[in-house]
Amino acid sequence: MKKESKQIIKRLALKFFCVLLLLVAMDVAYYFTLYQKDLDQHCPIKLLSQKALTEQADIVYLAESSNGSHAPYDTSTLPISTLIGEMLPEQQVSNLAQNACHAAIYYDVLNNIPRSAPVKVAVVTVNMRSFGCEWIYSDLEPALQKWQVMMHPGPALYRRLLLGLSDIRPWNAAEREQLILEKLKEQTLTPTATQPYRNASEWDHAFAQAGMLYNGQPATGDTLALACHHIKHFALTLDETNPRIQDFDRIVQLCKKRGFTLVFNILAENTDQIKDWVGPELDQILHRNAEFVIQRYEPQGVIVVNNLDAVRSSSFFEHEFPTEHYDFEGRKAIARNVAKALKDR
Amino acid sequence: MLFNSIEFFIFLPIVTLLFYLLPHRFRWIMLLGASCFFYMWFIPKYILILLVTIVIDYAAGILIERWKDEKTRKKTCLVVSILSTCSVLFIFKYLNFCSANYILLAEHFGWAHPAKALNIILPIGLSFHTFQSLSYVIEVYRGNQRAERHFGYYSLYVMFYPQLVTGPIERPQNLLRQLHEEKTLQYDNIANGLRLILFGLFLKMVVADNLGGYVDKIYADPHAFSSWDILTGMVFYSFQIYGDFFGYSTIALGCALLMGFTITDNFKTPYLSGSIQEFWRRWHISLSTWFRDYLYIPLGGSRVKVPRWAFNTLIVFTVCGIWHGANWTFLVWGAMHGLCLIAERPLRSIHLFDRVENRAGRAVIRLLNIVKTFAVVTVLWSIFRAPSFGALRNLYSALYHNIHLPCSLNVSALPIVAIAVVILVDILIRQSRFDDWCSRRHAVIRWGIYAALIFAIAALSSVEQVPFIYFQF
Repeated sequence: MKKESKQIIKRLALKFFCVLLLLVAMDVAYYFTLYQKDLDQHCPIKLLSQKALTEQADIVYLAESSNGSHAPYDTSTLPISTLIGEMLPEQQVSNLAQNACHAAIYYDVLNNIPRSAPVKVAVVTVNMRSFGCEWIYSDLEPALQKWQVMMHPGPALYRRLLLGLSDIRPWNAAEREQLILEKLKEQTLTPTATQPYRNASEWDHAFAQAGMLYNGQPATGDTLALACHHIKHFALTLDETNPRIQDFDRIVQLCKKRGFTLVFNILAENTDQIKDWVGPELDQILHRNAEFVIQRYEPQGVIVVNNLDAVRSSSFFEHEFPTEHYDFEGRKAIARNVAKALKDR
Repeated sequence: MLFNSIEFFIFLPIVTLLFYLLPHRFRWIMLLGASCFFYMWFIPKYILILLVTIVIDYAAGILIERWKDEKTRKKTCLVVSILSTCSVLFIFKYLNFCSANYILLAEHFGWAHPAKALNIILPIGLSFHTFQSLSYVIEVYRGNQRAERHFGYYSLYVMFYPQLVTGPIERPQNLLRQLHEEKTLQYDNIANGLRLILFGLFLKMVVADNLGGYVDKIYADPHAFSSWDILTGMVFYSFQIYGDFFGYSTIALGCALLMGFTITDNFKTPYLSGSIQEFWRRWHISLSTWFRDYLYIPLGGSRVKVPRWAFNTLIVFTVCGIWHGANWTFLVWGAMHGLCLIAERPLRSIHLFDRVENRAGRAVIRLLNIVKTFAVVTVLWSIFRAPSFGALRNLYSALYHNIHLPCSLNVSALPIVAIAVVILVDILIRQSRFDDWCSRRHAVIRWGIYAALIFAIAALSSVEQVPFIYFQF
């Protein structure tokens, strides 16, 4: 290398070192000025991890909207996490729930729990809908991905820069519709004599065309739409390639590393309605998928609480879309099963 | 690959480092490979289209030079080359537009029409590299440039990654010559290149993208906003498109300069122009000079009678409009610029500026002219931004009717400060360039500027990444 070039490289190295110092100073400035505002705005879930420390939690309960949703007619609005806490009075339970969350976000929340927090148990909800493309490509997903960027390890300013550089754009309605249409075809099924469809798309299409519920009643616009939603959300063969299963795998590894006892809480679905409106085949698929979760994680030391059939149809208070929003009776049933599993461990 | 992406932050230092580490004779291979990789990051298969135009114009250049004494053959070769390159552009950019309009026309008149709208996606930056290819063939035809025999170097001239996607549209006399030169590591090139990249990222990520959110809201549903909000949105768009395109061009300049290549400045403080004519000398300079040299002057330029000049101007600006996109709004936007320029001619003959002798008076006139030009350009940008004439009508109807509505756009301080910074920088640098201006400042001021830019990019950039506006062209 020429002497001249060496001198230039030395000069550049010195300047880069100065920039590095500048960055350190700016990171401190950012942390004490704009960071908190950015966290509130772009990563409310980051604050959840901190809650585990401030509330001195023994048990952290990670969930989506199923935890806190309540029916208008409920006599009590207590969330599932609080009900678990009431059933285990000697334990402090922290509610780390946030709407629309899924396993990838739970992983980040758990990973960000401060080492000094006294957490011993992590209860993580397994929402069977979260395995389907309707949720994976949900229009709420871009916002969640932004949260994930802000939860990366590293200096605060670096994470904020990553957020600015990440190409996370919300899909517009047409783009998302197209994407879901394609992805439904990838939700493959094994055809049987009573269920001849090769994927969720075919099944959904055929069901919509027939315009008849399984129980023989003619479908109205609303019931047909809800029945088709059940198909789109649950008609899939769960395996290790599913991105959410991969996230749950990471959660298992993380909890082993952090020494947390891990509980997977398979949430209740409206199986009564599924059997009645779509037929027993979809119910069987749903149970097979829940069984897959149990078979995969119990041997790894995870306590799996199967609440799939724990709530009756009358406790699901929303009738336009499949949700895991239960009335007080439903929430109590879930909490009871989780608390029992924790007592029995 | 986007300039404001994590991938590019990895790509850029690797390519620059490899460029200086490799011996000169291997650099073109590395740069060509890197440029292909950069382009294929978007939609890989579209590189084949680029290859078609490269092969056509490479062969045409050699043939034109071979037949330089046979006028007819030489001209035929030029025409064939122009037609084939333009037909690629036509198929991918204008065929759908033409067929959609034909269908509308046929339905209106009740004709039978077999035409169908085709599902063709416009390859990114097609208009830019098509024009760059054309300028090569025309320059060879005119004898201003020797035909490039080395296919690799010619391909690199069309595909040079910093300016591949949205220009500047380079002439072969500038870029092709530089590609052959052996570049050595120069401190000033690295420092200035990094300054330009920093400033370009600020313009894109802090100015343009932060304004984009407000603009999108206004144009999506203008009737939900007051007249004041709509005016604010229109002004914001003027600065959004400036920040966006100037930002991209500045980063391109910086990336090229890191390796010692000097490419054309595309902007010279256009919003400080006192007339539409001046605006086009300062806005998207590589495109306006392209049209000047290859369309306006061959049509006769200004050395003709006034009606003919007006006709030439209108033609050039209409073509410039439709170059931007296959939509009637772009065509009308271009034509309106042409009409404004024609209307300015009699006004210029009044020589108001020369009649005022004191400096203050001249400054006031200059300022009024700047404001007037900015107002006209902003109004015309609304045609450019609107997706259709229906949307444009909605915008202006809301602007007219919503005068009594309260403001609901909730503009934060950030976009206002960002615009103020852009105006301040424009005033400070005027005819100079940011890197040059910056290098002449005291070290404390210089490092203060770096700190402010880095902090703004890292902490204040928009979290909604808006695609570069000129990518669609």
